[in-house]
Amino acid sequence: MTMPTRTPTARSTRTDVERRKQPAAVCQAARAAERRRRRLSVAFVVLLALLVAGGIAVQASRSTSGAQTGAPAGLTADGIGVPLGARGAPVLVELYEDFLCPACRRFEETAGTELREMAAAGQVRIVYRGMAFLDGASTSRYSTRALNAAACAVDAGRFPQYHDRLFAAQPPEGGAGLSDARLVALGAEAGISGGDFAGCVEDLRYERWTQRATDAASKAGVVQTPTVRVNGHDLPAPTLEELRAAVNGAQH
Amino acid sequence: MLGARLLLGGVWIAAGAAKLPDPAGSVRSVRTYQLLPEAVVPTLGYALPVLELALGVLLLLGVAVRFGAMLSVALLAAFVVGVSSAWVRGLTIDCGCFGGGGAVAAGETRYGSEVLRDALLLVVAASLARWPTSRLALAPPRTYDHERFDTKAG
Repeated sequence: MTMPTRTPTARSTRTDVERRKQPAAVCQAARAAERRRRRLSVAFVVLLALLVAGGIAVQASRSTSGAQTGAPAGLTADGIGVPLGARGAPVLVELYEDFLCPACRRFEETAGTELREMAAAGQVRIVYRGMAFLDGASTSRYSTRALNAAACAVDAGRFPQYHDRLFAAQPPEGGAGLSDARLVALGAEAGISGGDFAGCVEDLRYERWTQRATDAASKAGVVQTPTVRVNGHDLPAPTLEELRAAVNGAQH
Repeated sequence: MLGARLLLGGVWIAAGAAKLPDPAGSVRSVRTYQLLPEAVVPTLGYALPVLELALGVLLLLGVAVRFGAMLSVALLAAFVVGVSSAWVRGLTIDCGCFGGGGAVAAGETRYGSEVLRDALLLVVAASLARWPTSRLALAPPRTYDHERFDTKAG
């Protein structure tokens, strides 16, 4: 944006005043045009800044991850994790999972049972940390709906059973996911009876909580599922062998 | 330069539109780079899709082309730096350029092509900033030539 600084008259040595008038007028017009352009540019930057600021506000309000609304009872102190096993167990295993994530299902199929046995034996304390970041991979926001249903199962006191049912019945990515009716039916299979489980599932009662959970995982540095964190250290790969090695290593 | 304008504008629109529906996901994508303090991560995550869309509209309409092109240069340079630094630090993430983001398997990173793409777009944006042509480009009035007016007057 360099500006020509030389004035046209300075270079002209002509004495005829009439002749010098014209370039001066043209120059003035050009300066006016330049001023106009500047003003317009500034107005433009301001307008764009306002637009982006407004956009930020809209996006932030749509994200709503900071909103504090209800969470199921009996969670860890941060209000996110679902604990399982003795509080005094020497090893903490945090499981970051999305119910639509195929690798999570594989982990649960291969290592889930043994991990529960470790918890039952007082070896480990499991904290299930659900995430719902795969909503784009289903046409019905299945990740959010499934995690919400799992939160409803926490209230019903049947989270572990329901968690396992959800993974066993995991729909493929890219489809419509399981219907609300199917999510409710899985609850019955997991031993949930009575209460308001169906209403909780259908109303997405803990939707905000699912957003907070996802956000908290992201802030904890989790960028993929399953992330298996044993006493604060992520397994290099979510396999039974790695899990055993990490738990044994943490105990000794 | 019309082609450059439409290409760059189209890419911005595509990138912005892909991120806009999922603001929380956009924030998470920014966070996976582990470059910025948490205080600014959400703001940037919310701002990026909006800014990209706005840039795309400017360029496609041909309004303030030089301004849009210069902002594009700055943004693309930041992207090149961000993706390269993720590459150098050995992170295995998707750039999240068109939505998505998050981790990928160690063998599935595409840093090379992502950096190359952004670098090429940067060249396009830079040339557009150098030679912006559009009726509403708000570029300096290059048509006004003092010497020529002087000669005419004489």
